[in-house]
Amino acid sequence: MPKTDGDPVGDQLKSRLRAELDRVQPQWSAPRYLSPAPQRIGAWRLGLPSLVAAIACTLALTAYVATGSPNPAVWTQRIVTTVVPNVGPESTPLPTPGQAPSPHAAAPAPAPPTEGAEPTPRSEPSEPPEASPTPEPGVSPEPGDSHDGEQSPFPSPSPSPGDR
Amino acid sequence: MPPRRDEHAEAYRPGSREDFDRLYRTAYPRVYRTLTAILAEPAEAEDCAQDAFVQAFQAWNRWRPDAPAEAWVHRIAVNRALSYRRRARLRTVAEVLRRLGRPAPSADPVDAAIQPDVLSALRSIPPKLAAAIVLRHYHGYNNREIALALGVSERTVGARLKQAGERLRALLEPSFSLGAHSAFPSDNRDLYAKD
Repeated sequence: MPKTDGDPVGDQLKSRLRAELDRVQPQWSAPRYLSPAPQRIGAWRLGLPSLVAAIACTLALTAYVATGSPNPAVWTQRIVTTVVPNVGPESTPLPTPGQAPSPHAAAPAPAPPTEGAEPTPRSEPSEPPEASPTPEPGVSPEPGDSHDGEQSPFPSPSPSPGDR
Repeated sequence: MPPRRDEHAEAYRPGSREDFDRLYRTAYPRVYRTLTAILAEPAEAEDCAQDAFVQAFQAWNRWRPDAPAEAWVHRIAVNRALSYRRRARLRTVAEVLRRLGRPAPSADPVDAAIQPDVLSALRSIPPKLAAAIVLRHYHGYNNREIALALGVSERTVGARLKQAGERLRALLEPSFSLGAHSAFPSDNRDLYAKD
């Protein structure tokens, strides 16, 4: 045993310490290190479902923040409704600076009322304003009078030789 | 005579199951006695000692033979005992707060009579000081081995040993001056009868 340096503990105290600790009988239970650690298994069993739940919560929270709706059915619908209008040819044109922004720009436009028409009952606007069978003056109803090179569905009558 | 360290028992191989079993058989009683000087209850000492060997077994592959294996296990065990006492102190504070206003339970006079004095004094000083005293004066460690076991410098070990000795002497000198204790306080009733 190495010699102690500057030992303030007396010999009497040392001998009493040894005597008292020698009287202590260790309790020899089964070595705990020989048994498998149940804490690790329990932690692993709890850890995997916790990880899955944490990932699901993160995805749900992300979808909620992106769509603004807690309904999972909306999370997929929102994607469809935002993609389809951009692909179709009938996309809503952007409002020009001259036009006043209308809240119903994307909605189908109702039938335009007639000029100077007073507010009429509900059934009147549904009627077509140009429903009269008589052509208006200034508009050539003749098929041969088509212009701008438009092809008429009817063949134009060939001029008779006497017209020349 | 306390069991002294077997120098041949230090030839341990890291990761060897047989060597760890041998280390357990050799070091467990010594670690248990060290913890007895720090902790109050034998069950607490056993619990901490077993936990220390479990932790040492899990790290047995990483143990390096440059430090004595028993000192390494002692280090783990003392650290666990320190944590245990810290938690026990918190529980005691909570218990005191819970029992405020109630009469305190009286100590069992039989327990007080058979309680060894040196161990009681060791448990009343800081556990780091108590561990240094036991490692030096019971297990026979030198300052370097105590430093390895407690994870401090040799200078700190010297300071702790000096401080622990002074505090133990202050606690135990009245009993030493009285000489040997009688086993039971009732043996002194003749003195009171004369009065």
